[in-house]
Amino acid sequence: MLRSTLFPPMLFFHFPVLRNARILLPVHSFPNPPPRPPTVCKFSSSADIPPPTSAYVHLPFCRKRCHYCDFPIIALGSSSSPSPSHENDPRIANYIHLLLREIEATKPASHNQPPLETVFFGGGTPSLVPPTLVASVLDALRSKFGMWAAPEISIEMDPGTFDRGRLEELLELGVNRVSLGVQAFQEELLRACGRAHGLKEVGEAIEIVTGCNGLENWSMDLISSLPHQTPEMWEDSLSQAVDARPTHVSVYDLQVEQGTKFGQLYTPGEFPLPTETQSANFYKMASETLTTAGYSHYEISSYCKSGYECKHNLTYWQNRSFYGFGLGSASYINGVRFSRPRRLKEYIDWVQKLQDGMVDHDATRVGSKDMAMDVVMLSLRTARGLDLSSFGRSFGDCLALSLCKAFRPFVESGHVVAIDGDRKSLSFHDFEQQLNDDYEMGNKVAFMRLSDPDGFLLSNELISIAFGVISP
Amino acid sequence: MLMASDFCRLANFPRPQPTTNHRGAWRGSCSPRPFPSDGRPSEPWAFRCLRIARPSAVSRGRSVSCRAAEITTDPGQDRLMKAARMRYILENEPYCLNLIDTPGHVDFSYEVSRSLAACEGALLVVDASQGVEAQTLANVYLALENNLEIIPVRVLNKIDLPGAEPDRVSQEIEEIIGLDCSDAIHCSAKEGIGISDILNAIITRIPPPKDAAGNPLRALIFDSYYDPYRGVIVYFRVVDGTIKKGDKIYFMASGKDYIADEIGVLSPNQLPVDELYAGEVGYLSASIRSVADARVGDTITHFGRRAESSLPGYEEARPMVFCGLFPVDADQFPELRDALEKLQLNDAALKFEPETSSAMGFGFRCGFLGLLHLEIVQERLEREYNLTLITTAPSVVYRVNCINGDTIDCSNPTLLPEPGKRRQIEEPFVKIEMLTPKEYIGSLMELGQERRGEFKEMNFITENRASIIYELPLAEMVGDFFDQLKSRSKGYASMEYTFVGYRESELVKLDIHINGEPVEPLATIVHKDKAYAVGRALTQKLKELIPRQMFKVPIQACIGAKVIASESLSAIRKDVLSKCYGGDITRKKKLLKKQAEGKKRLKAIGKVEVPQEAFMAVLRLEKEVI
Repeated sequence: MLRSTLFPPMLFFHFPVLRNARILLPVHSFPNPPPRPPTVCKFSSSADIPPPTSAYVHLPFCRKRCHYCDFPIIALGSSSSPSPSHENDPRIANYIHLLLREIEATKPASHNQPPLETVFFGGGTPSLVPPTLVASVLDALRSKFGMWAAPEISIEMDPGTFDRGRLEELLELGVNRVSLGVQAFQEELLRACGRAHGLKEVGEAIEIVTGCNGLENWSMDLISSLPHQTPEMWEDSLSQAVDARPTHVSVYDLQVEQGTKFGQLYTPGEFPLPTETQSANFYKMASETLTTAGYSHYEISSYCKSGYECKHNLTYWQNRSFYGFGLGSASYINGVRFSRPRRLKEYIDWVQKLQDGMVDHDATRVGSKDMAMDVVMLSLRTARGLDLSSFGRSFGDCLALSLCKAFRPFVESGHVVAIDGDRKSLSFHDFEQQLNDDYEMGNKVAFMRLSDPDGFLLSNELISIAFGVISP
Repeated sequence: MLMASDFCRLANFPRPQPTTNHRGAWRGSCSPRPFPSDGRPSEPWAFRCLRIARPSAVSRGRSVSCRAAEITTDPGQDRLMKAARMRYILENEPYCLNLIDTPGHVDFSYEVSRSLAACEGALLVVDASQGVEAQTLANVYLALENNLEIIPVRVLNKIDLPGAEPDRVSQEIEEIIGLDCSDAIHCSAKEGIGISDILNAIITRIPPPKDAAGNPLRALIFDSYYDPYRGVIVYFRVVDGTIKKGDKIYFMASGKDYIADEIGVLSPNQLPVDELYAGEVGYLSASIRSVADARVGDTITHFGRRAESSLPGYEEARPMVFCGLFPVDADQFPELRDALEKLQLNDAALKFEPETSSAMGFGFRCGFLGLLHLEIVQERLEREYNLTLITTAPSVVYRVNCINGDTIDCSNPTLLPEPGKRRQIEEPFVKIEMLTPKEYIGSLMELGQERRGEFKEMNFITENRASIIYELPLAEMVGDFFDQLKSRSKGYASMEYTFVGYRESELVKLDIHINGEPVEPLATIVHKDKAYAVGRALTQKLKELIPRQMFKVPIQACIGAKVIASESLSAIRKDVLSKCYGGDITRKKKLLKKQAEGKKRLKAIGKVEVPQEAFMAVLRLEKEVI
């Protein structure tokens, strides 16, 4: 009851109209996506949340675990020869079978389930999975939920796990976006982080990917702040990345997680890891180099050429719902966030229960406060920033104003940028004037975003300040 | 009638706890009086008296904190043991003995002196294994000053302990105090050794009270406590005249009058009687609302037939040590206020007034008789009232002479008048006497020197023990002086101090600025010579404790506008979770929530967020370095 009072009734009609409009759009209008409502989240009860049009599929197999990795993966055992040796590994086939069972047993989130617009094969090393098996997963998704005429289908691929033929096979299945896990352009760094490939395989992989006519959209993953990494190495990696001309670059700052090999060996900020200042500089270097090279820094760790944002990831940043399938994967359906078991055995049991209709999604529905936190946390990761008017509509203009006030010192210090409806940055002076005039607030300040790179670099600080405002 | 076998049964009592932190000796004060002919009590009662006498002997000589703990665990118990009356028959003649236990600690020397004033004689109980301590001396002198009578009985207690050296201790008493120890009684409360000798000695050596029953009533209050059901219960010694149930009585110092609803004796439980005569010790209850109306040292007389003059020695309680008490949880402020009000009902010396601090929120500035008093109050608030408190560094009352001729008493650095308005600052000084085995003389003199002490004299009281006398500012004492004394002497030294007056000192107000903003709760008054060291220590500690901010933060210690110590906190360069993998935001969110939670405990000082722990740690540090 409380929630419904928070939202003007007109909102409930807002969406269906748009959705209908989208469905009526002619097919040839792709690949440009249909216009999306500007807001991240206007909904706080499941009835208002549109059903997912994105699916994440976890393919957990790796040749070996990288030293920084704490994802749910299944190491198949190291092998120097490329994938064919794992081609007939029964563990993969069995897992895919399990995955198909999960997809089959999953009920669509709504009666009028719209077709899927994005599918993301993440891992693990999805490129280790034989294309025929990938095809079976896509078929299952298509028959279960339907598939948009031109969906974005991404797959993560690691150097040394595929050849041209395999890539072409995948493209034939409809895969149209490749995320290549290069991570570094230095042999010693690749070895230091326990990657299963060397520099040679990186070169080959880039050649295959760029040489493939059917693939125009590909992303390169890089990791900064690796142990023993020097600014020169990082500069070199960035320029080699730019030279390879991917449409998208993801730059991840190394996170030393507990329970990983790095976690045992290293302490953040201490040798051989770069100091905090150095690693902040790495981040700035990436931002500068890639921006200069024509990439847009559209999310904390993502850069793309114009129009090549990862649509699947945008689902996350915009707090829209998505399906998740496979070991340890997360889903967000009807306002419920749920993470599947990270251990294979438990996951098998869970799928069985799902089939038996015994699964009780024990994850709690996201409450209004948490929803506001999700919106803030996710939208502030993006260059678009937090849409204040839609945030205000969903969670109260008061809260939106309080957030602005809390960020006031950081607008002054340049960590946060206030943006007007025409996406123009406001000066601190203008912002402050708006802030003092409570009634005018929404008129001019339309968005708040973190500045690049200073605000992005301190995003945790800034987001947790916002959390403190939402949940005092 | 009292058999030796009765005493043997005493052996079942728990052994007195050996104490390492021995502070002072207990004196039982006795006023023997031939038992009134209508004496009600019988033998079992007399036996109970002894039981009572024993635990008070046990409570003697606990360490400060032990004693505080004892009070807090069962505050009533300590009260019950305050006084007891016993019947004793010597050579077929019944006697009534009134025993009063006195608090041992110097913070309560006023109470001790009133207890002693209520007696004809005193038992000097010295631990046969520990020997004479500073406290022993202080109280002997107090007894000699206050009490008309000499101390005729010396008891060497704990002779059952393996470490007991009664001969050495006797010699020490003779040498240090100058009392003849040839007739000292050796006893062990635990084993019941020597108890009948003590009782016999009380009767034979302490004179009976003078018969003054015909004079107008004068009764000396030596203790009082607040009973939630009956109001204040007053313990008193009738010096002149008689007091009857239902009398309208008048407290000469407080000027209050009441009807004595109930009077009685302590047997040791309160036993109502109809009338008490000069020389007797008893209690009364008169629905008195606060102990402040019936303070220790006050004289009770009849409202109708007032005595001409009150008994000498009454003093108003004067707090010497101050500190701020703040609830950790701001919601507990009303509870803290209620608790302090309740404690004050029972403790006229406790003073408090509300105080607001930008860092700590709402709290109280409280005045105490001394450090033990402070500690007891703090313990009671925390244990009995379940409050979690932050205590600021104890401070003393400075006397500021202003240019315009005003004199201001100031205990709060934030209220110190501007430098331009003050002519000079005076601070209270104490004379401190440390008794120590000779091997620690060096380190204790070092301590005295460090604390701005002025060396007065040193005497070897025995071949191996010395008394060192210093005069030093009370402010230097209120920190960890006693702890230092104990740790530097491996626990063997003891000390005693007396207030000697105000003296001018070169004191300055040390301000702490964080990011250019003064932080009032961290301001302190220190001696000019110590300002640099304190300033450096404080800024360094703060640098450790304040989380880095998104900008560079200077931390400075200043005297007026002059920066004397400076540190700077570098800005956070990077705090980013780059990967939000596969849409699983829950883990990252948990981290961010934790971070947000951490921020809630921060207090904003201008733009800088300072955790409460930083204030607490700095206050602890202040106790150490100032």
